[in-house]
Amino acid sequence: MTGKILPEKNLVVRHSALELIEHWAIAISGLVLFLTGMFELPMSKRYYIVNIPGLGWSADYMTSLYIHYAAAIVFTAAAMFHVFYHGLRGEKGLLPRKGDFSESITVIKSLFGFGEEPPMNKYLPEQRLAYAGMAFVILMLIISGLVKTYKNLYAPDMSLTVVLWATWIHNIFFILFFLAFLAHMAAILLRPNWPMVRGIFTGKVRLDYARHRHPLWIDDIEPAQEMPSMVVEDTQAPPPVPEDERS
Amino acid sequence: MSRQSKFQIGRRSFLKITAGAAIISGVGLPKKSFAGTDEQLSTLIDLSLCDGCADRKVPACVSACKTINKDKIPQVAQPIPIPWPRKTIEDWSKKREVFKRLTPYNFIYVHKAEVNMAGQKKTVFVPRRCMHCDNPACATICPFSANHKNKNGAVVIDQSICFGGAKCRDVCPWEIPQRQSGVGIYLHILPEYMGNGVMYKCDLCVERLAANKLPGCVEACPREALLIGTRSAIEKMAGSRAGRMNGYIYGKTQNGGTSTLYVSPVPFEEIHKTMTKKPGQPDMKVEVQRRMARTDSMGKAALAAPVLGIAAAGVAGAWNWLSHRKDKTGKEE
Repeated sequence: MTGKILPEKNLVVRHSALELIEHWAIAISGLVLFLTGMFELPMSKRYYIVNIPGLGWSADYMTSLYIHYAAAIVFTAAAMFHVFYHGLRGEKGLLPRKGDFSESITVIKSLFGFGEEPPMNKYLPEQRLAYAGMAFVILMLIISGLVKTYKNLYAPDMSLTVVLWATWIHNIFFILFFLAFLAHMAAILLRPNWPMVRGIFTGKVRLDYARHRHPLWIDDIEPAQEMPSMVVEDTQAPPPVPEDERS
Repeated sequence: MSRQSKFQIGRRSFLKITAGAAIISGVGLPKKSFAGTDEQLSTLIDLSLCDGCADRKVPACVSACKTINKDKIPQVAQPIPIPWPRKTIEDWSKKREVFKRLTPYNFIYVHKAEVNMAGQKKTVFVPRRCMHCDNPACATICPFSANHKNKNGAVVIDQSICFGGAKCRDVCPWEIPQRQSGVGIYLHILPEYMGNGVMYKCDLCVERLAANKLPGCVEACPREALLIGTRSAIEKMAGSRAGRMNGYIYGKTQNGGTSTLYVSPVPFEEIHKTMTKKPGQPDMKVEVQRRMARTDSMGKAALAAPVLGIAAAGVAGAWNWLSHRKDKTGKEE
């Protein structure tokens, strides 16, 4: 369950196991799609990629397509699951809010030492904006990919206009997907974001970090935890943070 | 132009085949021309009639095709950019007259096959060009959709958006499309690093069809060995001719089916034996599987993936709701 505070371990649950599965299913299948999508271009032989040990299959368009379809099943199903599951539960924490754009600028400036970071919720304003952008890119890739797949299987003589739209949307958003991936990786390089990295692997982030950077989130979840059976001990004074984990 | 007037194109061959088909199948003559319509077309190549135009230096079909397409390829850049890192370029601009193989300047050639049939030598001539497959991988997986199958069955490369990567040639069982380097859109982008020219092949003379004319090869054949008509009419005619000559059909099942049907009095296995597969000179293997077929089941599963994801969300959501309700009920008790 997300938002559960584990004071004795100085941790708070940021992502449920299901959310971690969703994230990694989309991330890994997305990278496989990116790689096999590249191999659908006539580049493997030209650039001698086919000679790299383990990539001998990269010049075989049918093998690449087969793997591309397989990854697309995971990618599409996980994306649809994400939208509908969290939609049904009414979870809107990652959706952009009014003022996110200006707040993002303030946060980004603070990352480079200009000004103070405002108190934040579970997700940073730029995370919410990035999420919306990535979701749009993924949606366009899925729709155009499904059209192309349908054409491959059932309608090779589909309207050329539709085929060209699907193809070029797929190609352009394929590049945008890669750029969004690079931006996602670049965000990890920023030191203030480091404590969040463990969250996407273990589901949990340090409580003292969350209190410091995401006080609005902690404020939201703490009253819910102050139930008789879940006594929170001395939340005002978290255990000392090991030197190597201090940011 | 009205559809009635389009029927005016009824040329010798077309009338002959439709009349022939009508006799065979009992169907009437079509009420409209096939030109410029979405009706699926097929071509018939009757090897019992083709004599390779023995009296001419260049077979009539080849000659007509060359004439029609002589200005298709624009001026080739000089020098042609050398691709990196593999430095392969294909330049046929100084060998335009070649007619005994497929080149970017030659979309059809005639193979002479001397076969042994029951101890007797028999010579057949086999015009070779794009088969215009029913589900052409060359078109469906072109990364830029520069190659497309039209409703009438013609598989056509749009040279204005082709980068000449030759993927279409790699996936074609007969390796039909041919590359001319130094022309095309790639010259305006990153000529050394992306693309390598434009791919060329037979387009079934789609522009002539749209202008109510027959494909050049069909029109030029003095023996009417090449015919074009509606898919059903051609299939009936091919079946009938093969039956009459106790012969064989090629193109109906190969690569998942094509719009080109060869009829021959000689088994295609024997014709194939006379062919050595070389660049621009395809063989004629009888067993030609559609290689993309092995991706079909996975593709179908990919099409079903959105439903799978939504169904899983529904199940997980219901499970969540039920667990929550159970917890709540337990606490109330």
